[in-house]
Amino acid sequence: MAQTTLPPSADLENTSAKTKHDRGGAWWFYTIGKAFFGSVFVVVALFPLAWMVIAGFKSKTEVISTPFQFFPEVWKWENYTQILSDPTFMKTMGWTFMGAILFTLLALTINSLAAYAFARLDFRFKSALWVIVITTMFIPGMTILLTSFVVVSDLGMLDSLAVLVLPGAASAATIFFIRQFYLSIPSSLEEAAMLDGCSRFQIFWRLFLPLSKAPFVVMGITTFLAYWNSYVWPIMTITNPDMYVVQQYLATFRSERSTELGLLMAGSVLAAAPVIILFLIFQKQIIGNIKMAGLK
Amino acid sequence: MSTRDVMTLEQEGIIGTMEKPPKAGRKMKRSKARSSGVMPYLMVLPALVMLGIFVIWPAVYAGFLSFHDWSFYKDPAFVGFRNYANVLKDPLFWAAVRRGFIFVAMTVPVMLVLAFLFSSLVVSVSRRFASVLKVSIYIPTIISAVIASIIFVLIYDYSGGLLNALLGVFGVDPVAWIGDPRWALFAIAVPAIWLGMGLTSLIMVAGMIDIPQEFYEAASMEGANWWQKTFYITLPQMKNILLYLLITGFVSAIQQYELPLVMTGGGPLDSTTTPNLFIFNHFRNDMNVGYSIAAALLLFVVLGSISALVFKFVNSERLVD
Repeated sequence: MAQTTLPPSADLENTSAKTKHDRGGAWWFYTIGKAFFGSVFVVVALFPLAWMVIAGFKSKTEVISTPFQFFPEVWKWENYTQILSDPTFMKTMGWTFMGAILFTLLALTINSLAAYAFARLDFRFKSALWVIVITTMFIPGMTILLTSFVVVSDLGMLDSLAVLVLPGAASAATIFFIRQFYLSIPSSLEEAAMLDGCSRFQIFWRLFLPLSKAPFVVMGITTFLAYWNSYVWPIMTITNPDMYVVQQYLATFRSERSTELGLLMAGSVLAAAPVIILFLIFQKQIIGNIKMAGLK
Repeated sequence: MSTRDVMTLEQEGIIGTMEKPPKAGRKMKRSKARSSGVMPYLMVLPALVMLGIFVIWPAVYAGFLSFHDWSFYKDPAFVGFRNYANVLKDPLFWAAVRRGFIFVAMTVPVMLVLAFLFSSLVVSVSRRFASVLKVSIYIPTIISAVIASIIFVLIYDYSGGLLNALLGVFGVDPVAWIGDPRWALFAIAVPAIWLGMGLTSLIMVAGMIDIPQEFYEAASMEGANWWQKTFYITLPQMKNILLYLLITGFVSAIQQYELPLVMTGGGPLDSTTTPNLFIFNHFRNDMNVGYSIAAALLLFVVLGSISALVFKFVNSERLVD
């Protein structure tokens, strides 16, 4: 994995010292060039977000105005305070947050149980069931979008928390990812526990779960993000405005209240904030596992 | 911590059902299979049931409906391959597929080149700067398509948008970026690249870090410059990662529909109707559901097999590691 194979920073400095020697005076040129291009990447990546945050401080007419102004005439907090005191927005945020937490917990529970069984236990039809699970990974969402809608509407789940939380919870990609991790845990640990008379479930609960922090963080964040950012499934299954999720709220806001752009920008900033904060807290684990997470 | 847990477990007397001693070897597996009891089934059951209800059944049902004439108001009537024939005869479907390929050509190569430059930079700078770079490139990836759409629609605004204002400084006349059929798809490619760069770059960085440092040291000794090192060491060493990123990039770009859905709804003049958006719009407007499902299944056959091949490839590559 990425992190383990990264040479210690001392090595990096060594090699750069060598090239420094080779290149002589050109070394400064390279350092400045790298700093320059690095800054360009950072600025380009973060610019649209910075612009969104700044636009949140602008008045109604200032967000898109001729002549264009990047910074607001007067920095106003009104948009942020107004959207924060808007009960509909806050309810939507709370509702989406609750759904995302439930969804993540549910997904981690059922997927890790299955991952453990597929990684560590032997049972009849195991390989056949595994093939079935893996096959579901290759079904594009669009193919089953309409029939999934038919299924949830037949089950009477439209306009409910269940329709948001249940359908995507079981995920072959998550099972696969956690299973890969469980396969790498040495079986001697398990054998010792078994000698002590632990049942399989106890081994899972007392031994594997505490060891699973890394894959759980990565998959937990990925799952949370998927829920928080989902838009198409909610617009198909949630028609009651009281139950709108946050992305749906923003899209509706944009089309229905298209003049209040400053407010929309402030709302978008606040809607993006939870996932950005979550990412910044766990960025080490996520980036460290990116190679594996990318392979889903 | 784990053995401690097991010990407390014993003390508390929560000792499980009788389990057999550790397996003696792989050969014994088969005979052990039966004795694991119902526990494994109980553990896989929730996931299997949910996959069954929400993925497998809808997929089977979609296959069934694609051969039927059906709408929400009438019973399915078998029509054989008629839906498929209709899709394949529909010039609008082919136009959408062509547009999908153009969109891929607009996004994937740019993303791969930028990600390559980015990761070359990341592996050559100090650790602290590298992590700043990695975090900033990844932040856009966690932003939703809806928020990205809102941001870029305003940046593209004809009279008050940032982009036209910026171009105006250089004397360029304003362009109706998402209102002009010639520019709209391009205007959607930019946020798509912005959102997709993070994962692509970080996978590439991870691949680049795996290349043994000695290769470069040896090359430096022989006086190779950056270009030579890139062409003779980095690119050949990253062949598999690049191929993987190319294919997954293709699969995800051709499936993009959220950005055009929110930004333009597929317009103007269908110029941003990607294949998936074509199907999605049919779902919402068309009475003949069989048609849309047949189109979705045709796409599935192609994309599903590509993804399966990628998966097989990646899995075998991992075994070599």
